[in-house]
Amino acid sequence: MTRPVGAASHGAEVRPRAQGGRAPDVFSRDGTVAMREFRDSDAVDFAIVGTGCGGGVLAAKLAEAGFSVVALDAGPFWRPLADFASDEREQDKLYWLDERVSGGEDAIELGSNNSGRCIGGTTVHFQMVSLRFRPEWFKARTKLGYGFDWPVDWRTMWRYYAEVENACKISGPISYPWGPPRGRYPYRAHEVNAAGLVLARGAEALGVAWAPTPLCTVSAPHGKSPPCVYRGLCKIGCSTNAKQSVLIAFIPRALAAGAEMRDLAMVGRVETDGNGRATGVHYHRSGEWRFQRARNVVVSGYSIETPRLLLNSASPQHPDGLANSSGAVGRYLMVHSNHAVWGEFDEEIRWYKGPPSMACCEHWNYVDDHPTKDFFGGYSFMSQGPLPTDFATSMVTNSGVFGMDLRRRMANYNRMAGLKIVGETQPQAENRVTLADEADEFGIPRAHVAFSYCDNDKRLYRHSLTFMRRMLAAAGGRNIFETESTAHLMGGCRMGLSPDDSVTDADGRTWDVPNLFVCDGSLMPTASGVNPAMTIMANSARIADRIKALAAAGDL
Amino acid sequence: MAHVSNTRRTTSRFALGDVLAVAGLGLAAAVVIGARARRPSVRAKTVPAAPEAALAARRVRDGAAILGASVLLDSAMEHYRGRFHNAAMYLAPATAAISIAAALAEPRRERLETPLRIGHALALTVGFAGLGFHVYNVAKRPGGFSWNNLFYAAPLGAPGALVLSGLLGLASEAPTGLGRERHRDDEHWTERYGEEGRFLAAVAGASLLAETAEVWLLHFRGAFHNPAMYLPVSLPPAAAASLLAQAIAPRRGSRAFARLSLRATAVLGFAGTGFHIYGVQRNMGGWRNWHQNALAGPPTPAPISFTGLALAGLAALDLIDAAGKPNR
Repeated sequence: MTRPVGAASHGAEVRPRAQGGRAPDVFSRDGTVAMREFRDSDAVDFAIVGTGCGGGVLAAKLAEAGFSVVALDAGPFWRPLADFASDEREQDKLYWLDERVSGGEDAIELGSNNSGRCIGGTTVHFQMVSLRFRPEWFKARTKLGYGFDWPVDWRTMWRYYAEVENACKISGPISYPWGPPRGRYPYRAHEVNAAGLVLARGAEALGVAWAPTPLCTVSAPHGKSPPCVYRGLCKIGCSTNAKQSVLIAFIPRALAAGAEMRDLAMVGRVETDGNGRATGVHYHRSGEWRFQRARNVVVSGYSIETPRLLLNSASPQHPDGLANSSGAVGRYLMVHSNHAVWGEFDEEIRWYKGPPSMACCEHWNYVDDHPTKDFFGGYSFMSQGPLPTDFATSMVTNSGVFGMDLRRRMANYNRMAGLKIVGETQPQAENRVTLADEADEFGIPRAHVAFSYCDNDKRLYRHSLTFMRRMLAAAGGRNIFETESTAHLMGGCRMGLSPDDSVTDADGRTWDVPNLFVCDGSLMPTASGVNPAMTIMANSARIADRIKALAAAGDL
Repeated sequence: MAHVSNTRRTTSRFALGDVLAVAGLGLAAAVVIGARARRPSVRAKTVPAAPEAALAARRVRDGAAILGASVLLDSAMEHYRGRFHNAAMYLAPATAAISIAAALAEPRRERLETPLRIGHALALTVGFAGLGFHVYNVAKRPGGFSWNNLFYAAPLGAPGALVLSGLLGLASEAPTGLGRERHRDDEHWTERYGEEGRFLAAVAGASLLAETAEVWLLHFRGAFHNPAMYLPVSLPPAAAASLLAQAIAPRRGSRAFARLSLRATAVLGFAGTGFHIYGVQRNMGGWRNWHQNALAGPPTPAPISFTGLALAGLAALDLIDAAGKPNR
């Protein structure tokens, strides 16, 4: 599936790098840093499965609080400076491309837009858009009449947004046009590129607000990270370390605080004892199955792998899968509709320059009553900067252009701009992850993912297409056309207020197994109309503090 | 679809190295020309200015020359970054070179007086025109005078340094111009130092504040990521305040602090240059990739302008000091 070009990167995919008391120094080309190691027989305080927005943040904060932590990840431990190439196909190595079975009426494509597989998780290839929820969304059912209420108050989340935004030195605008005041972003917004200025022009023409997008890549030096150089290859892995992925912002913290990272360690099963308590995890590394003992297990594998692992960890006490007495494990899976409009412009734009989404508009996230608004939920949209292969692929799959027609359109690549939504979808029980009949190379049943848009989802993206078409035309776009896709994953193990309809409580602790936690995007009860990374990280930072409080109260 | 074939970006006619070489030659030529005109003339017909006045004027003019050098190199680099897309962009470094030569020259040779004055006035005028161009550049972008445009469009304050260079050059005539008319038997001439010193203190103090505003904007853009970035927005305003205090009410007691803060500001110009050199190194590739990072990183020619303004401020204090001394 992956075709490595560099010896260094190939090695990372076949041989664990974090071992022998050393882990890769992500700020070097070939250096290492000291790493504390635990034996499989040590019952560590926390075995964390996954190292992205959920597990990576949690590992750093729990290790800093003095807990013994082993974090396992199925993917490699990259050194971006040496391992990342400016080549779209080579960088496919960042995605979770293991075969999954995708079904439903609107089967989703899995990989580059929603699944990562390496230390640092999906943040290594995310587009760095760092938005906050609208406060009312945390009580969507009560306040807006749709979806599901979060078991968390927005003001609490607001504090943790600030915490993770500071940890990632988010570069954002001085004043943000939507929502309650959010304090000053730690770093200043980047210069908006020409693709972003198209959105700005269109927004000013239509009389709606716009803003430079708060981005998770630094606009000034920070520690060992240089400021962004606007190469524009961020989505396929930042090779300068300006991007503050979890790999850069949290993993070094976790290692320094004594956490162990185990790369190329695929966890296949959470073991439980006769009392129904978790005792550790079975994982495959270096060609053999091993068992790490743990007092507590945290599953942070994101919306597909987390349910898959819980479902595959069934035991006599948990016959339907771990923590699944409610039947909610794997259910209420959500995506973001990712519909887009594209147009040609007279002037040169070179939209690949800089981070891909430098201007954003959250207008329709904050408007509730409008004659045209015929849907629940919201959507934001951003300016775009797709890389050539990505864009050509999108045109082929969406409009079927090929041959000379495709070539002619791609020749216009430097004079194009587009707008793409992050559109909320409703939590539906039948959109879910189950175990397929076939097994992967480790003998673990593959995930089966079913997804269908509901009518409300369709009304939402249709509304967005109409609006964005108007905006792009107002900005001077011609020959406008549309594409559709999805991005991000949310839900699958939602948290809630009742064991009847959710998998975990507000602390991410599963209702059924007191020493088993979930900490990742699968906890999200609703999808929202913004990119989820900051919300997942803020929620993970919050859960870390909750776990510390539980431990202090003797309640772990 | 006629434009499809033309997607190649036209590249600049010069490389950064060429621009810096030309700017360096311009700087060297300006210094040589100015220094030649600096030598005292043995045939001077007028009575030489009183030593305090001559020394103060010299220091002010040296300050103006330092400002000019900062503008010359900075505008050459930044306008190269803007690919000299408007021919007027060549005017900034060219005028700065003239400003340097005019400032280094000694105006006591009468035949030089008018050309030098023209040189300073030119710097002042081109600087103001530059402010206009930069305001237009900010205003025409989507968002207008938004923070993003203030940060990244043409810097509003930068042409101000050229204005200040010309202003200091003209202001330096105050002590020398009046001094030339004096005679050693005039018992009251040192008293006039007080007025002249206060005028210079006001000019230098206001200039320091304007410069600080520009530095604040750009260091704010850099999120003050290094605590040292607070130094040039705290020390120079303190020096400016003490200078302005002297301009309003020249009290001897507080002059020591004014002098100290100005000396510190002068040193800060050099320290800032060092910090900016380090700042360039913190960009991807560091100085090995100088042809990109010298432009992307903090501007190395900028901080030295504080030294220039501080020299003018110190000259003002010298004059005020001299006012209290008995006639020689």
